[in-house]
Amino acid sequence: MFVLSVIKDTIAILPANFGVPPAQALVAEINKKYANRVLHDVGLCICAFDLVEAGEGKVRYGDGCLWYKVRFRMVVFRPFASEVILAKVKSSDEDGIRLSVGFFDDIYVPLAYLPQPSAFDPNERAHFWLPDSEATTSHGLLESATVDRMYIDQGEVVRVRVEADEFYDDEPGPPKASEGVAVKREVRRAPYSMICSIAEQGLGPVPWWKSAQPDGDAMDEE
Amino acid sequence: MVFYTLQVVVVNARSALLSNFEVLNLLRELDAEHIARTKTAIRVKKEGEATGKNLHDTQTEEISENLRTVELEAIQYLSADYQPTLHQSDTGITQLVRGLQSFGLSKSEKLQIVNLAPTEPVELYVIVEELEDRLGDRMNDLLVVVSKSLQESAPGHPNGTTAVPEDKGTLGEDAVEVYEEADQETWGYDANAMEFDDMGEGVGVEGDLDIDDD
Repeated sequence: MFVLSVIKDTIAILPANFGVPPAQALVAEINKKYANRVLHDVGLCICAFDLVEAGEGKVRYGDGCLWYKVRFRMVVFRPFASEVILAKVKSSDEDGIRLSVGFFDDIYVPLAYLPQPSAFDPNERAHFWLPDSEATTSHGLLESATVDRMYIDQGEVVRVRVEADEFYDDEPGPPKASEGVAVKREVRRAPYSMICSIAEQGLGPVPWWKSAQPDGDAMDEE
Repeated sequence: MVFYTLQVVVVNARSALLSNFEVLNLLRELDAEHIARTKTAIRVKKEGEATGKNLHDTQTEEISENLRTVELEAIQYLSADYQPTLHQSDTGITQLVRGLQSFGLSKSEKLQIVNLAPTEPVELYVIVEELEDRLGDRMNDLLVVVSKSLQESAPGHPNGTTAVPEDKGTLGEDAVEVYEEADQETWGYDANAMEFDDMGEGVGVEGDLDIDDD
């Protein structure tokens, strides 16, 4: 789920940091600029990995900083398409489930990617799977016995397959106004989000697929 | 006058794949360095106060909050008890990658096996496409290769428990101990990083033999 990306950028070192070895100061500035930020079409930047090359620091007209042209490698979080990863259930609603890996939580499992048949239980605020059920509607599924339902609860560790990801570049545009009244801007969309599936055998809550503890050397059959 | 285009250029968005193990080690190293620098800064400050001189150290004050946040959250995720990462080691992973070579797996399949360390058939089914056609009865052999690459107890936890201490302070100290010993091995990561170069060929991983330390 992590990759190394090679990036070229121009980085400024403030005079206050001239006493620090340039490589160290550059890495610190790179981390200040990129760590925990989404780079469009690249992924979530975690931290600088190393400097590949850096030019001489040059003073620019207008400020006292030393500007360095730097090529560096960065550790980036971006699972590839169809990669299987582990995540935790953050919350659920009628549209699906939201997951988190701690440092990133714009991970969604929409209804279409839940194992079938399943339904949302509004009392538990959780989706449940009812394997072997012949019911085809939510209504039918909600009539089932609670004990038969395989709930997907908050905090549950799930195995998921990454199906797609999306980058949204929110360039600030001019504020929209209609009839002289400023219209409120739309809710911010996440700069990077992921769609995952738990529809296949082996995906979903990890305990669903764990076989019973083997006694001796034999593996228990499921 | 010198003009610069203040533009970020992504030279290669995906120049190499990294395993969770490599990233966890890198982050723990960063964390240990931060803790060491903070301790030094506190000591220097105290000495400064004692002598009446106070050197204004801007470097340590400007530790990026964003970096610390993502670093600690990622360490927490990667060292969770539901992950195999804490049971992995340099030698274990080298051994695992070598052991996987004869199964005709793609680079992405091998990387997922390293990251998820499947020990049961159903876990392998989601990772490897057409598992039965390609592996047939060798499936169990593969699972054994994976099990053998994992350790009972996490390295650096001599009491043999797999629980990660809740107190981050303790974790930092453990990490410092582990990495002082493993200092020689950390540089192997550069080679390791290139090892997973995703050329999409599905050919065995070249270069892992380069990591051999005596």
